[in-house]
Parts: sequence; C-alpha cells; structure tokens
Amino acid sequence: MRRFRATLASLFVTTTLVVAGCSSGSPGGNAAQAGEPVSGGSLTWAVETEPITFNPHQYAQAKTRLLVWNTFEALLTHDDKGGYLPWLATGYEVSPDGRAYTFKLRTDVTFSDGTRFDAAAVKANVDQLLAPNYAPAVAAVQLKNLDKVEVRDAATVVFRLRKPDVLILDFLSSPQGAQISPKSLQEAENLKAGGPQLAGTGPFVLDRYTPGQEVHFTRNPAYNWAPPNAGHSGPAYLDEITYRFLKESSVRVGALTSGQVQLIEGVPATDESLISATPGLSLQRGLNSGSTYSYYFNTAHAPFDDVLVRQAFREALDVPAVLAGVYRKTATRAWSVIGPTSPFYDKSLENTYGANAQKANQLLDQAGWTARDAEGFRTRDGKRLTVRLVQSAPFVRDRRDVLAQAVQAAVKQSAGIDLQVQLVDQGTATKALADGAYELFDNSRADTDAGAALNLMLYSTGSINRTGFKNPQLDKLLDDAVATTDQAGRTELYRKVQQLVITDQALVLPLYAPQDQIAASRSVGGVGFEPTAGVPGSAYRLWLGK
Amino acid sequence: MITAILRRAGAGLLVLWAAATAAYLALLAAPGDTVDAIVGDGADTPGIRAQIIQEWHLDRSAVVQYLDFLLRAAHGDLGRSYLLQRPVSAVIGSQLAPTLKLAVAAAVFGVVLALLFAVTARRLTSTAGLILVSTPPFLIGIILLSIFSFRLGWFPVSGDRGFAALVLPAITLGLPIAGTLAQVLRDGLDRALDEPFAVTARARGLRESGVLIRHALKHALLPAVTMLGWSFGVLIGGTVIVEQVFGRPGLGQVTVQAVNSSDLPVVLAVVILAAAVFVVINTVTDLAYLLIDPRLRRS
Repeated sequence: MRRFRATLASLFVTTTLVVAGCSSGSPGGNAAQAGEPVSGGSLTWAVETEPITFNPHQYAQAKTRLLVWNTFEALLTHDDKGGYLPWLATGYEVSPDGRAYTFKLRTDVTFSDGTRFDAAAVKANVDQLLAPNYAPAVAAVQLKNLDKVEVRDAATVVFRLRKPDVLILDFLSSPQGAQISPKSLQEAENLKAGGPQLAGTGPFVLDRYTPGQEVHFTRNPAYNWAPPNAGHSGPAYLDEITYRFLKESSVRVGALTSGQVQLIEGVPATDESLISATPGLSLQRGLNSGSTYSYYFNTAHAPFDDVLVRQAFREALDVPAVLAGVYRKTATRAWSVIGPTSPFYDKSLENTYGANAQKANQLLDQAGWTARDAEGFRTRDGKRLTVRLVQSAPFVRDRRDVLAQAVQAAVKQSAGIDLQVQLVDQGTATKALADGAYELFDNSRADTDAGAALNLMLYSTGSINRTGFKNPQLDKLLDDAVATTDQAGRTELYRKVQQLVITDQALVLPLYAPQDQIAASRSVGGVGFEPTAGVPGSAYRLWLGK
Repeated sequence: MITAILRRAGAGLLVLWAAATAAYLALLAAPGDTVDAIVGDGADTPGIRAQIIQEWHLDRSAVVQYLDFLLRAAHGDLGRSYLLQRPVSAVIGSQLAPTLKLAVAAAVFGVVLALLFAVTARRLTSTAGLILVSTPPFLIGIILLSIFSFRLGWFPVSGDRGFAALVLPAITLGLPIAGTLAQVLRDGLDRALDEPFAVTARARGLRESGVLIRHALKHALLPAVTMLGWSFGVLIGGTVIVEQVFGRPGLGQVTVQAVNSSDLPVVLAVVILAAAVFVVINTVTDLAYLLIDPRLRRS
C-alpha cells in the first residue's frame, strides 16, 4: 500500500511525484477515472509469485510483500524519506547509548481472532522468532544484536541491544517483525506455513487459500488503526480481494486486457506499449529499495584480484546499451550498489565510469593481459582472460540470464574478455560458490534499509560476501553506520562506503535498479507502491470506482 | 486367479520401491546438499546451517535417512516439505484432484478426437497429427487462450473452477495425444481393411463405414490402447506446462517447485505417486486387452 497522505489533492501530488521519480510511467494517477473513494466491491489481482509461506516471520520473497500487509502489521512503517512513522506503536525513544529502544504501543488494537494486542504480544513474537528451528536467518541477521525484550507495562515494551544497531527499527517495520496473534503462535497447526490459521491485526483477513490457484482476503470490519500515511482511516474500502497466481506474463496481460482481472503486477517490457495503448488501462512503475542488481567481482584470485582488471571490465561494458537491448527503454541504469531511491544513494557516482572501450584496453595492457589468442581473447602468460558467472536457475528473474549473454558479447567485442555464463541448478551454484569456482557473482537485495544489504554483501564476515574482499576500514564504516542513529551521519558514512567500494576498489559493477510494475483498469483507485520498499502496496488503499 | 492378482500387486510394490529408491539416489547424487537447498540465496552462516541440520535431522547418514524414509513411507507417513513447512500428504493431497481431473478430461478429449479423425478423415490424419504432435503444448495453450479467453471471452483464464475452466487446458493437453493416437489408429485401420475378413464383409454387402466401424476398428484399437496407457504418463508430465500457463492448481507446479528447491520429501512422494498411477494404468490396459480381443480371453 502506497500509504499516501489523507487528502485527495495531496494524493494526486504524491502520485505524480512517484511517477516522476521513476524512469517513466503513465502520466498522472488513475484517481481521476476511478473518482472519489467508495466503499464496497471486490477485486481480482493477478500476481506472478505464489508465496512459499503466509507466515510473515518466514518472509523471504519481495514479490509477495504486497500480501503480507493485508493481514499483518508492524510496530512502525517506513515513510518515503528513510524515516519511520507510527503504526502499532505510537512512538519510540532511543536511549543515549543507542542500546535501548522503548516503544509505546496502541491500546485499541485487537487481532482478528479477538486476542488483544499489547506488550506481551510483542514479546511473544520475538520469543517465537528466537525459538530454535523457527527462523534461523532472522535470529542470525536482524536480531543478532538483540539482548532481550522487556514488558514494562501493557502498552510499553523495551528492546535492549548488546550493541547499538539502528537496523532494529528497520526490522520492526519489516514483514519479519510483523505481529502475529500469540494465540495463533501457540495453536496454529502448520505455523511456519501460515495461512488462514494465523491471525493478524491488518485491514483484511486471509480466509481462503487454494494452493496453485489463489488466495482470498475479506475486509476486517473492526480495523481502525491505519498508519498516518495510509491515505485513509477506518476499515478498508474493498469488501474482498482475490489474488490469483498467474506465472506466465503474457497470460497475466491477457487476463487484464480481457477484463478477467482488474490489476496485474509484473508487466514485461515487451507488453508495456500494449498496456499504455489500451484506453481503459494504466501502468505504473516503482523502483525497489535495497541493493541494485550488480555483478560482484571475486577478488580472492586472478584476474579480479587486480583492481585494474576490475576497472577494465567496468569500462568495457556500455551498460545502457545492453540494458536497452534486453529491456528496451524500461530499465533504470544503476551507478551504485545502493538503489537510487535510497536516502543513502550517492548521486555523485553517476557518469564517473563505464562505456570506455579504449580505457578498458589500456587498463588490461597495463595489467599484463597484452597478448591475444586466435579467437581474439586477451591472454597473459599463455592463459586466456576467462571469467565465470554462475547463475542459479531457480533464482534467475527479470531475464537476467539473457542480460548476462548481452554482457558476454559486449565485453568480448570491446576488450577481448571471455565471460562464461553458467546457468545451473541451485546445488551446483552453491558448490561453485563454496569452491570459489567463480569470478563474478550477481545479486540484488530488496532490503528496505540498504545498510542491511551492505552488511551481508560487503562486510568481511558478511554471510553473502562473495567478493572475498576484507577491509578493516570498510568494516568500521559499516559498523559505524548502524551504530549511528541520525540520518545525516549515516548518509555520510554510506557515502564513504560507496566511494571505497565503487570508485576506489571497483568491487562492484552495478547494472540496473530492480523495479515492479502494476497495470490496472482505470476503474480501480488507490493503486500505488509501498513507500521506501517500492513494491506494490497492499489492498488497504484500493477502491473500485463506479 | 488369486495368485495372479497377488503377483501383480507384488510387482506393483516392487516398482514403487524401485522408483522411490532411484529418485532418492538421483537426488543424493545431485550437487549440493539439502542444507544448501534450504538456505537458497538467503543469508548463510554456520549457525543458520546448524539449526537447519538439527530441525530436519540431516546429521544422520544417507543410509539411515533412506531406511527411515522407507519405514515411514510403509506406514503411510511421507514426512514434511522442507520448503512449504507442511505435511507432504497435505501438499500433494490438495493438488491431486485438479491434476487427475485435467488428465482424465484431456485423455477423453484426445480419444474422442482421435476416433473422429481416424474414422471420418483418414487422409487428413497424417498431416494434422504431425502438426499437433510437433506443436509445443505451451504454444497451443497461449494460442487457445488468446482466441477463446482474451478475445472471445468464452472461457475463464485460470483456476480449477468448474467445467468452463477445464475446457481450454484439457484441449491443450489432449491435442498432442489425439495426434499420436489418430496416427496409430489410422495405421491399424489401414492394415485391418486389407485383411481377408474385410473383403468378406464387403462381399456380404456391408457398406464401407460399416466395415470400418464394426470390424476394422476393433483390430485397430489394440495398439491404440497400449498407446493410451503410455500417454497417460505424458499427460501427467504435460500438466506441468499446462498448469503454469492456465494458472491451475495441480501436481505439476508442486513438482517443479520441489525439484528446483531439492525438496526431497515432496519429490519422493510425487515419484511414488506417479509410479503408482503407472502400475494402475498398466493393469487397466491389460484388462482392456481382454475385453477387446476375444482371442486373448481364450488363452
């Protein structure tokens, strides 16, 4: 749910801003066609991805985030400037040492099973997250610095940390930090799978799930605690909403154009012109938060242990040209490891490198890769300049395998680099990573706070550090950035991180900023993206115009 | 008679065991282990790994895990899905009916169409059959959807919701079957019509259509029934694509997801189920031979 401010006028402004902020999009919002918000009606939304789990604690698929907030809510929510707004908590205080976060909770909230929401419920949720065999990744990453949770009174809860960690706020605004009824936590038959048995506090209740087909939500009539940027208050407009799982993009588009569904997400570049050309439909794009889709250089061995070769690879590639070849004009080129919508994004990196074949060739000459073999590839001491990119097929999306082929052709032509793309199963990919049998690693992460992604990817002991780059100065910057509570201080620290990683060390080749698209019938109002996360919003703001 | 049935059942069980074991060995031989698969592309630390190993008892040797699986499977317990965190029986149980419904509907459609083709338009069969067999079901599905759902709005695009939603998927899946069956039928008919009994029938003054339907068709059916038994396996495999295109629930989607994520308990259960279906179908085909051909009944 793109949680806009209350009035319609500002709603229009915000929508326009969002659209302007994206690479392109349909002009204006679709509020005009759908008219004033009205209560009632039902919608069908065709989505690409069926969730593996409906338990928000187990959340791992950014594509399913739009479903989470229908049923569940968190203590805080993100605004669109990197800050936080009250939700189930009315506010919070941080102790001067940054190790105690005290939350004041709303007292008028009940879960859909009738259980009261209070401080004990918050503690029950954290206890569950830390329980053995429940959510090991959350316990090891988001809650790694949590010491204990104290219930001071029914409406006050204190999170005590072992060391300062501002990312605890990000966690408490995330699906993994969403609040499940303590009664469900104890009684649900398949707790980790979630579903109708798990009660939340959200504006809808998940009442029917048909695996492989659809999930159905009904309005929660008692709902009256929307966050301030939700666009309205009280119960949701829609009586009910069905999300149908349609994996094939052409089928989603056909279902929309034939009026069988009113909304779809995941519109392929090739179909965007069709949507835009259809009078009754609108198209919106939102850039995701987190880290950009980038290639990470493995610095553990040759050839990318040499910064000159890393720079050369970046110079050899004309990123806009390959993006245009694969995604037409719909992709947004990335310049940093941090996404361009993040408050920490360093805009000064733009146009500082890339698309300079002459420089690439000079750098490679300098690094000793001077000779060429019969096929035109560069060699050094008789060894060809070969680099391997291993992609795990189940996780390839956005046609990243095709993009890799375009990169392969480009660097061969411009600098004689032999890029070998291996599209393999998950087991083979994991083995290649464990054995260091790769020179490039590709990844994007949808964390709402880009710092969370950087800690995993860039920290010397980070659990997804595939560069093999270990640098005490970088670790210190990342540590300081999560120990600092003020936004300006964090921005400055992350600017230094980006300078070090992108400019000085050339550890990363950023390619594009991942995005989501929504195409909708113009009779649907309130269509938009969730602030900060940049993924399609929940159904709370949607209405069906007459 | 009873010994024959017992022998049949014993052989069926042996097939199930062999299929499950082969699948188990194949997954064991695949690169990466279960822990890798569960970690996926998420955060990966020794602590997280230790918890996963503990949760699913992966510290036991492969042989012990295999024996444990067999023992539990013998008691009807297929375990829990690593990925979906639900009992395998629940994961598969809810998806079995839509897949079977689709497979049966497609088989019926395929048989009817093949018979029509073979009897009424024998000369067309070979070309039409070749086109149908060599067109990927994915393409057939998209084309059918574009015309009959997106353009004409006759059928809904997706889901397991009544007869209307079954029509297009069943046609998509049934067309290639019809192509193959029609070829086999036509071949059988041509041969039967050259037999002396066809000449005799004609000499008795029977019309050509009578010769075809009353005499030749029975002869042509035998290889076609064999073919149909085989194509039921193709149908089950074909549902993978058809279910994806039409957004239908079913085993195909479950299987793809389970294989991609090395969800061992689900993969094994699907393999056992598929093997069981094959055993049943083969038995039914054998019985059908007896019905069709009186010569087999006597011996």
